[in-house]
Amino acid sequence: MALEDIPRLGCGRSIDRIWGTIDRPPTAHEEQCDQCQTARTRLRRLSKATRSLRESDLHNPTMEPRPGIKNAIMDVVRAKVRRGSRILLRSADNGTTEISEQALSSLIRSAAAAIPGVHSRRCRIEIRSAAASVADEDHPTGTTGTSTNAGPRLIINLRVAAAPGIVIPRTVEALRHEISNAIPASVGIGAGTVNITVEDLYDV
Amino acid sequence: MGDHGPGFEPDLDEGSIVARAQDGDLAAFEHLVLTYQYRLFRLAYRMLNDRGEAEDIVQETLTTSWRGLPMLADVDAFGGWIYRLATNKCLDLLRKRSSHAENIIDLEDMDTIAEAGCRAVSAALDPAQEAEWSAEQDGLTALLNALPPAQRACWLLREMHGRSYAEIGVTLKITPAAVRGTLARARHQIAEGMSQWR
Repeated sequence: MALEDIPRLGCGRSIDRIWGTIDRPPTAHEEQCDQCQTARTRLRRLSKATRSLRESDLHNPTMEPRPGIKNAIMDVVRAKVRRGSRILLRSADNGTTEISEQALSSLIRSAAAAIPGVHSRRCRIEIRSAAASVADEDHPTGTTGTSTNAGPRLIINLRVAAAPGIVIPRTVEALRHEISNAIPASVGIGAGTVNITVEDLYDV
Repeated sequence: MGDHGPGFEPDLDEGSIVARAQDGDLAAFEHLVLTYQYRLFRLAYRMLNDRGEAEDIVQETLTTSWRGLPMLADVDAFGGWIYRLATNKCLDLLRKRSSHAENIIDLEDMDTIAEAGCRAVSAALDPAQEAEWSAEQDGLTALLNALPPAQRACWLLREMHGRSYAEIGVTLKITPAAVRGTLARARHQIAEGMSQWR
């Protein structure tokens, strides 16, 4: 399909050009040209009908899907929910405690919500496992007792959008602080490294 | 705290909501479903003229989007992407339909919708205006339904949903200049048709 496909009137004016100027007064040519005048009248009528159809569809209750559709969608989605990897929080003789990456991300986001001027976005959590952080020694995980300090070391990579006009270094520092406090308070392990990327500014 | 995690701040920007949904946040995704289900239904209904099929399109599009979300590179592209999925599902369905029979229009549906549309707008109009408006709307939708499906999609995406030429081009696999041409032809044809209704 090429540009030449745009319909033209006998006088050579394109429909596109007339459409673009129907709200302006007619040009000298248009005042003289019957074809242009007819086209302007028709397109103006179309423009009005288009606007009223758009408005009525927006407010017309029968132009909405049945109310149950959202739940039907969410049921399908919930069955396929992604929880990411699981992070071992604590391992003792009487059992292990794990948390999903998904749940930990929620904790991080809810901590981040306390800081004005940033919206948290995607969150990736890498884990250096308890075994690896205790280093080379060859003792199997799960036999190191109940100490919470021997837990895994987290590397949190959080992306955020910031409000325009905020002081980014200060705000991000406050955010890091908030997360570093919230994780041990909720799950009993240190937050480890908290990398924060401001990837966007949001409109306010 | 349940499956959804904590509810999110009410003034979140859409990019952040999309990003959270990409990470599997159900509350964020639910918010997107609530936002887009109405828009997608209006598009699908005007494409297909069938409530049940339009609802199926909304449901399929949004559940498909959950699977594809983690791969979406740009969070601000969500709207365009979801419109593209829905439009192409409608076009596929119409292609399937036309291999069976000519455009099937559920007349009963059309009547209900036209009437309810009238009531929705008529509060501000006097009866004469209302009748005129209703005839105008019927005329417009009938002419719209006579357009070839891709042209109809182009017109709806631009005029009813305000999508950009670039985005419509990607959806219909044509250049933005061709979108412009398609729109001009659609407007020309509808305007011509309307001039016959008197």
